[in-house]
Amino acid sequence: MKALMSLGALIGVAGLLLLGGMFFDIVPSSTVRLVEGYMPIQLLLEVACYVIGFTGLSYMMNAMGMAIPRFWQGIGFWIFLMVYLKYRVYPPIPFSVRAMYGTVGLVTVFMWISANEEDWTKFKQPIMNVLDAQTGGKRILRYAYLVLLPILIGGFSFNAMLPKSEEPIELRTVHPAPPASTKVHGKTYTLQTSQNPYRVNPEGKYDQEFSNANIVEQGMGRLMKPNSNPWDEKNQGYLKYVREGGEIFFQNCHFCHGDNLNGRGLHAFAFNPIPANFTDPGTIAQLQETFIFWRVSKGGIGLPNEGFPWASVMPPWEQHLTVDEIWKVVLFEYWHTGYYPRTWD
Amino acid sequence: MGLLAGKRIFSIVALCMMVGLLLLPVVVALPSLAIGEETRSGDAAKKEGDKVEKGRDVYYKTEGIVSGAPAPKTTDGVKDYPRYNFESRVLLWFANQQHLYYGSFVLAVPIFCMIIEFMGVVTKDKALAKRYDQLAYDFIKISLTAYSLTAILGGILIFTFLTLYPAFFSYLSGIFRPVMHIYALMFVAESGTLYIYYYGWDKMREGFLKWIHLSMSVILNVIGTLLMFLANSWIGFMMSPAGVDEQGRYLGNIWHVIHTALWNPLNLHRILGNMAFGGGVVAAYAAYKFLASKTDEDRAHYDWMGYIAMALGVAFLIPLPFAGYWLMREVYAYRQQMGITLMGGLLAWLFIIQATMIGILFLSTNYYLWQAMGRMRGAEKYQRYIKYLVFLLACGYMVFITPHTMVMTPAELKAMGGQQHPVLGNYGVMSAKNGGINVIITTTVLSFVWYMRGNKVSTVSWAKFGNIFMGVFFGCAYFNIIFLAVYGYYIPANVRVGLSVPQVATTLSCLFFMFALNSFMMKGAKQMGPIEWGKISARSQYALIMLATAFTWMMGLMGYIRSSVRLFWHVNEIMRDNSPWAYTHTVGFAANMISANVLFFWITILFVFWLGSLTAKKVPVESKAGIPGSVPQPAPSH
Repeated sequence: MKALMSLGALIGVAGLLLLGGMFFDIVPSSTVRLVEGYMPIQLLLEVACYVIGFTGLSYMMNAMGMAIPRFWQGIGFWIFLMVYLKYRVYPPIPFSVRAMYGTVGLVTVFMWISANEEDWTKFKQPIMNVLDAQTGGKRILRYAYLVLLPILIGGFSFNAMLPKSEEPIELRTVHPAPPASTKVHGKTYTLQTSQNPYRVNPEGKYDQEFSNANIVEQGMGRLMKPNSNPWDEKNQGYLKYVREGGEIFFQNCHFCHGDNLNGRGLHAFAFNPIPANFTDPGTIAQLQETFIFWRVSKGGIGLPNEGFPWASVMPPWEQHLTVDEIWKVVLFEYWHTGYYPRTWD
Repeated sequence: MGLLAGKRIFSIVALCMMVGLLLLPVVVALPSLAIGEETRSGDAAKKEGDKVEKGRDVYYKTEGIVSGAPAPKTTDGVKDYPRYNFESRVLLWFANQQHLYYGSFVLAVPIFCMIIEFMGVVTKDKALAKRYDQLAYDFIKISLTAYSLTAILGGILIFTFLTLYPAFFSYLSGIFRPVMHIYALMFVAESGTLYIYYYGWDKMREGFLKWIHLSMSVILNVIGTLLMFLANSWIGFMMSPAGVDEQGRYLGNIWHVIHTALWNPLNLHRILGNMAFGGGVVAAYAAYKFLASKTDEDRAHYDWMGYIAMALGVAFLIPLPFAGYWLMREVYAYRQQMGITLMGGLLAWLFIIQATMIGILFLSTNYYLWQAMGRMRGAEKYQRYIKYLVFLLACGYMVFITPHTMVMTPAELKAMGGQQHPVLGNYGVMSAKNGGINVIITTTVLSFVWYMRGNKVSTVSWAKFGNIFMGVFFGCAYFNIIFLAVYGYYIPANVRVGLSVPQVATTLSCLFFMFALNSFMMKGAKQMGPIEWGKISARSQYALIMLATAFTWMMGLMGYIRSSVRLFWHVNEIMRDNSPWAYTHTVGFAANMISANVLFFWITILFVFWLGSLTAKKVPVESKAGIPGSVPQPAPSH
């Protein structure tokens, strides 16, 4: 047990030093990178390592007769969480999300330190000591709090009420709700039931399994599967349509959506937000193919008005492309990102 | 003997009356269903000869004879939308919400009574049996006053509909005419049954009569549940209409109108939701009484009552997210557009608030259980591991509430380099959220297992093996849930949706297998000390109050979301809302309105509790060792 706790303590100290080093630029901030594709689980594992580390550290300090008071343990852990979220995660997390995490952190720290009477008494003790003020030092501290706390709260209130010239926050909806059907070039498409006419097997029949087997691998490499190169002239059917879609994409779309389909094209940073990142699992991977067809056809201007502001400058591509071309572009986007369009079967 | 026989006859007659009441609506409705409608349309068909107009069902795609008027095309004006100098929708919202709160409460409490009364009947410990019986009686007593309020609020709701939305209500009642009559008769049956059940409590206290009394609670609950199903059919129709053609004309098949795409998931979700809500309200009542108690005896009783109510509420809370998941799946299947509006579009932020409330429910439950371990000697051994449970809950919760659509300033948006955050964006989608909530629920199950074995040491020969097995089982469960959550990103969406099944199965396996195994292990276990009822921190009672408030708030929120998803439709894609209020409220306004509804409900329910306490008379009874704290007994006659 002791060995395990010592190991935990070691992890805790190393982790804190590393984080502090990266925070103060002593250690390069890229020492421990968040690896693309694994970031979400890496983040959770890192925090878990810190928790194990802190537990070990607390155990060792206790064994050495230098126990950290529960009061400071609770406050310390919460401060650690806030610092971690603010400085470790890149790109920066918006304040609203950090505030949510901070509140959850505060609540759970409270749950931890008050889970039983003994811990709760320990936690309250320093507060009670100051309130009781049996010694001179504590009395001074109490008066200091009496003066400082109202000033602090007043300061926060003043700051919050102060007129600001910052841009207002936006509650932008990422996925607008599509209509039940859409009319493109005179033909009506029911979004729930329509299918991409080019997602076909060698027999020419709609076959999602066949196309899924020919897409690139997901993840960083995005490697093509054997005999699934659309640019091989011999390939016909689905892969040929992917190639045609790719040509249309690189002639029209990649300036904004990027040649890697990650929303970082040549013109991308002229817009805020930058164009949609198709490689993110939260975009096209979540949607039906017909949804993309509708979005591409109608563009930003064709979005429904119930969720203003949309902040989308995408042109209505139906004015520039044929229906077939739009379907082929959609086909290419799924092929290139390695995602499967959403289905309801 | 004669008296006993008399009571028996009385009980059987009462039971038969209840069955009669239950069947009454059906019997009355049969002619109109079987003859009235068909004959009317049949006669019409004969008279009209070949001119019979047929329509195609918008959902079932079957053909039927047009038997009703088309949905009115309303215009903004006093004819279709008469109004005060106030937003009619808000008035209706308020009336509806209050009726639903009370309706849920009075439907849930009799189910509790049935369960607790049954526990009292089957338990061999007579003192405990009396306590259960008393508890069930206390529950039904609370619900009786609430029942009258439910009826009053129902009346107010109908008047609000009739006076503010006459065109819409007239259309709806035109289609649901037979159902509304059955509903009214069911309400009569419910009232009759409830009064016989309540006032017959003392007369049917022992032996065979008690079983008759218990049967009455079953009938009461059958009626109550059917009542709710009928009410659900109206909202189901408004969301996913069926049994009408594109113009909204009734096609003569009332079953199609009732059995819409969302009716069944709504029914299940509402039953579970009502139960969890009812448990929360009763637990809050017990917490309030506990905090106000002057004697140890009272504290012991209300501590126990709070625990039972909480346990029953949570038993229904655990499957609730899964029922909600099924409902959402059906919503997506019915209309992708509706699903996206709910979970990815306009209303997505409300779902984040909902996730926050669900998290609060589970966190409060866990916190209460940890506090409750404080009243057991021997539970200290688990205390030092609580921090790890806190960590699991915190991680699960943070993932569960991470929004896909983040609120941010344009500067933050720019700094983030796109709408999706590369790290947190992944937590914003369903795959991660399923993992998050399943981790939370599994941790809650683990807390329950610890609570159940808090003051016990297993004496079975295979105890060590059992403990290791349980540890490994939970470890594997966490691994499986998290692994599937990560794996979900690498597979097609339709397969990913299916992954929720093994995740849920894992969580439920923990619930059932671990509870069962734990019970076997704790059979004849050595007790480290009795459960000292009443010796629990005040914080635990605030956790119960928090639980109930969160339930109430969440019900209000979910009702609003469900209703708002129709956007500018009274009846989705059939009857358009042309009032000036056919827009979606801001999140802030909705939150304030829900809070106002919650506040009003709690003020009025406190009044109900106070009324209930006026009749309370206590007679102490002996309690068996091991179950400390005696119970306030019912008055000799009620």
